[in-house]
Amino acid sequence: MDTTAHGPEAATPASGPWPIRLTDVTVRYPNGVVGLRGVSLAIEAGEMVSVVGLSGSGKSTLVRTVNGLVPVTSGTVQVGPYRVDQLRGRRLRHVRGSIGMIFQGFNLADRASVYHNVLVGRFSHTPTWKTLLGLTSREDREMVMSALDSVGMLEKVWGRAGALSGGQKQRVAIARALSQEPQVMLADEPVASLDPPTAHAVMSDLRRVNTERDLTVLVNLHLMDLARQYTTRMIGLRDGELVYDGPASSATDADFEAIYGRPIQTRDTLGQ
Amino acid sequence: MTVSQLSVPTRPRTWPRVAVVVGVIVAITVLTTLPALGGVNIDLGAIARNWGNGSERIGKLFPPDPSILPRTWKPLLETLEMALVGTAIAALLALPLSQWAARPTNPSRSRIVVRGVLNVIRAVPDLVYATILVAMVGVGALPGVITLVLFDLGIVVKLVSEAIDSADASYMEAGRAAGGTQTQINRVTAQPQTWPVFASQVLYSLELNVRISSILGLVGAGGLGRLIDEVRGFYRYGALSMIIIEILVVVIAIEIASNVLRKRLR
Amino acid sequence: MTVLTATRAPAITRAPSRPRRLGVRAAQLLVGAVVLASALHLDIGWSDLAQLPADLRHYLGLMFAHPDWSRLPGAFYQTWVSVSMAWVGALLGVVLSTLLGIPAAAGVGPLWVRLPLRGVFAVLRAVPEVIIAIIILTVTGLTPFTGALALAIGGIGTHGKWTYETIEAVPPGTAEAVRAAGGNLLEVARWGLWTQASPELMSLALYRFEINVRTSAILGLIGVGGVGDLLTGYTQYRQWDAVGVLIIVIVVVTMVIDGISGAIRRRIMRGARTRDVDRSS
Repeated sequence: MDTTAHGPEAATPASGPWPIRLTDVTVRYPNGVVGLRGVSLAIEAGEMVSVVGLSGSGKSTLVRTVNGLVPVTSGTVQVGPYRVDQLRGRRLRHVRGSIGMIFQGFNLADRASVYHNVLVGRFSHTPTWKTLLGLTSREDREMVMSALDSVGMLEKVWGRAGALSGGQKQRVAIARALSQEPQVMLADEPVASLDPPTAHAVMSDLRRVNTERDLTVLVNLHLMDLARQYTTRMIGLRDGELVYDGPASSATDADFEAIYGRPIQTRDTLGQ
Repeated sequence: MTVSQLSVPTRPRTWPRVAVVVGVIVAITVLTTLPALGGVNIDLGAIARNWGNGSERIGKLFPPDPSILPRTWKPLLETLEMALVGTAIAALLALPLSQWAARPTNPSRSRIVVRGVLNVIRAVPDLVYATILVAMVGVGALPGVITLVLFDLGIVVKLVSEAIDSADASYMEAGRAAGGTQTQINRVTAQPQTWPVFASQVLYSLELNVRISSILGLVGAGGLGRLIDEVRGFYRYGALSMIIIEILVVVIAIEIASNVLRKRLR
Repeated sequence: MTVLTATRAPAITRAPSRPRRLGVRAAQLLVGAVVLASALHLDIGWSDLAQLPADLRHYLGLMFAHPDWSRLPGAFYQTWVSVSMAWVGALLGVVLSTLLGIPAAAGVGPLWVRLPLRGVFAVLRAVPEVIIAIIILTVTGLTPFTGALALAIGGIGTHGKWTYETIEAVPPGTAEAVRAAGGNLLEVARWGLWTQASPELMSLALYRFEINVRTSAILGLIGVGGVGDLLTGYTQYRQWDAVGVLIIVIVVVTMVIDGISGAIRRRIMRGARTRDVDRSS
């Protein structure tokens, strides 16, 4: 595997997507459950990759190792110029600032305004004391507004996040991630709580993020048709092990059956 | 089908447990009513003996004596001021403290220290604080306000931090994923998220404060209580009942006002 | 950035302006002004405040640096007197509140019963226990029994309210089922309401005891006996090392009782929940 181009010594690129390299990553949770078993993976800068598997297959664990939300037990995680598995505290937060993430449950503070929820994306660029005193720079405000604008949610900026529909919430969450000006975008089952038309809209947004903003995108999906339609490359996980790695569009039903470890069922596709 | 053919599962026996519970209650009650052990002497005879002059005095509660009213305005104002200032100071302190005392907003171990200190603070009754503080800093409003602040901190921080603990805090993960410090996440998202609970508990503590600060004067900590102590010393029961009615009106008025406000918070 | 956004005005200029909420601002200013005015009007000297930290450190040192442990047995004895008051008061209070609280619940008693009862609860809630004790001690004297009675009567205010609120919070389904099966009022109360509300009510009764443990110490301050009585004496004679011991005993006993009672309450409520699960499955 060729990792020399992005060793720890490489300078931070001013912009442009980051590659992601996982080498022999194992995650064992404190309660003994094994999330990942020796997963090695190389994602090139600017790729749009889906991670497919049943629930409990380690998908969520995999994306969370990329930004250090889940610490790895062994192995290395290289994101752009950084070894995420070795970082802690302030430096880990700094790297997380360059990695956007959206979640299945949107993870918005329902009682806070849309504005404040998106402002969360500016945390890593803002000193804590400024946030504490409620001082927001004009640059941060602009960033929040243009992020909301790019997902078509500018009108709702002063509304409560909890008053939005599911699709709108996920768009605000995408805006939150975009306001970080990230190099990498992670998505953990971003459409699992949405109805089919909204799911397609959110997946389109993610693809737009990938092409227009030129970000590396890693998205967890449990629906095979979405993986085929929106991503270029597919990773299959089963019981924490990497069982498939190849182009998404040409993945056959047999490939999916191999990943799932069972025949394909209707609930494995979204339809429409 | 006859009854004998039915296979009825044996009925779980609950009566042993009930018997144990009843037994424990009876045992504690017996222990706490043995005067020899320091228990309460339920002396109904004393009531019978004292009934004559006692009931006469209680009778003097009616009619209330309005002539005391002009003398109550100043201490009443002081009572309300102490309650308000105590609540305000406690609210300012409770805002960060309740975030430090809850798991989602403070994953570090310092949470346990904050909780421990607050448990100790809560274990001391309000008038006990007042008694000791009066002896320390002298008679007046200062020991009263400190007492109320300590009392409020105990309940507000406990209730709000428990509310934070039990509320959905998935937004924390998003803040962490975005590279925020815990303080930033708490300030921008956790604070608005817990605001209604916080405001409602502060209002509740204001209600309790009015009630408490009206009697703090009994131990010398300012407010109506000092007047209560005086009229009671002179057996002016008509005046006493007038003051009680006054407290009643104020407490209920504050309760109604705070209920109205609380409904608007939602 | 995309071509689309480049041709349009920057998002920040097109964003809707932040709602002003003048009313909220005005209310905030008003509250702030009233609090500030109250603080300034209160008879607290700035010099007192400046002196406060030093005073506190001085006296806390006197209290806890060398507590007079020889007072320990006396402190425990008087604490037991207070706890006894609290228990007897809670028992009496809960019995009275249950008897009065059930008819005060909507759907149980008629309106002409409910309203006066709720009025009585509201009045008793507003009157501090200390004042109740001051009134009834003219009949019962300065004894722990007075304290227990004051706790019982004072407790009716909050506990009666909790009782009818708990009963009203019982989902109507069970009571309806009993009524549909031809149950009379008593049977509805026993099978429809009691089975559903009793865990909550028992838990509240224990909580009443926890509250009373604190209040009984306060009642001692007016002379009905117990740990409060002892405290008045020690502070009057400025026996700080004895006050320290007393505070330690109060804190320890209160926290132990809270701990035990809290554990039992959690168990009662957990039991209630698992029984519900059993029923639904």
